[in-house]
Amino acid sequence: MAAISLLVAAPALGDDMERARSIVAATCAACHGLDGNSVVPNFPKLAGRHPDYIAKELGDFISGRRKSDIMASVVAALDTDDFKLLGAYYGSQQPTPGKVADPTIAENGKKFYFEGNEQTGVPACEGCHGTAAEGNRKFPRLAGQHREYLIEQILSFRTNARSTTRVMREVSVRMTDAEIKAVAEYLSSM
Amino acid sequence: MRKWLLLLLAMPWLAGPNLANDATPAWNEITGEKLLALKLKGNVARGEEAFEGCQGCHRRGATGSASGMYPRLAGQHAAVLIEQMADIRSGRRRNPKMEPFADEHVLTPQAIADIAFYLQGLPVPPSLGKGPGKALERGKAIYSRDCADCHGEGGEGNGAKFYPMVAGQHFVYLLREARLLRDGERGNANPDMVRVIKPYSDQDLEAVADYMSRLDKR
Repeated sequence: MAAISLLVAAPALGDDMERARSIVAATCAACHGLDGNSVVPNFPKLAGRHPDYIAKELGDFISGRRKSDIMASVVAALDTDDFKLLGAYYGSQQPTPGKVADPTIAENGKKFYFEGNEQTGVPACEGCHGTAAEGNRKFPRLAGQHREYLIEQILSFRTNARSTTRVMREVSVRMTDAEIKAVAEYLSSM
Repeated sequence: MRKWLLLLLAMPWLAGPNLANDATPAWNEITGEKLLALKLKGNVARGEEAFEGCQGCHRRGATGSASGMYPRLAGQHAAVLIEQMADIRSGRRRNPKMEPFADEHVLTPQAIADIAFYLQGLPVPPSLGKGPGKALERGKAIYSRDCADCHGEGGEGNGAKFYPMVAGQHFVYLLREARLLRDGERGNANPDMVRVIKPYSDQDLEAVADYMSRLDKR
């Protein structure tokens, strides 16, 4: 229904965003923030992520392709028809910049982000996630993301606990712990 | 556009699968998904998007890396690219570094065709990774004698026959693959090629790889 009203009645866009905001306030904001800039390191920032990517992940939580006890119970309470709307809401929020915690490690991480590791066959992260780690429809925005969340996710790809992408599984297995730490430092500083 | 049309007309397997099966040599059996991808019409815009997943290694614009770890793909013949992607997926060409990124969970045969057409149309960038330049006369003599008949005087290759363009490819990559070919480790090698390269010394390989890396096909 939401999608249809977006198409046929442009003025309804504001109304939809109001509705999205109220869903977010009731269901998502406690962890992800009303503006998508979560302040809790274990919960990802969603501001500025591509709406399609957010909608896709919500779908994966529903189907069980992506496993999370917390998110499974939350998405079960949502209407799947609202996924795109929620994606559009969070996608249109302004991401807050990250903070540099360790400039030296962040510098190593930047090098890794743009070059990968040729010897061990790790592709450069920027190939998919973009030169500003801005992400796109298929690949999530990583710029300014919490380092703790980034590390946790890369490790969950490595153990296959998060098994939604074959590519990240392979990448994470090839990365050393130091490389994971460094690239998370760089991204969280953006 | 014209280049593609000519290439399409020159592809014998497009006439029909029976002809393709009869005419193809054993080293490059055109069956299964390779045949499928070769027959599919590649879409450049879709190929550009699908290539996002490749450019972490092969880089934007498919320039490869100057270190020679990853080959340049820009301007390569679509048929050659499809052949190599299919052979890496099937394990005929052993490439454990790349295989997971090109497997069936990541790329459909249509995506292979799309990527190949996108890459074929990319401008060939200047050569980045050259050899030491100490034996270019020797390299030229070897190339003219043994290589030019198939790969072309200017290293342009021949898509209809699955002979890759070698001009402007990174030196270290050419040298590595030439060694694998000579030593029987490239899996999907053309036996004619292996026969030619078998007697080469390491110095011969280095000289001819250096010469090829300096051929300018732009």
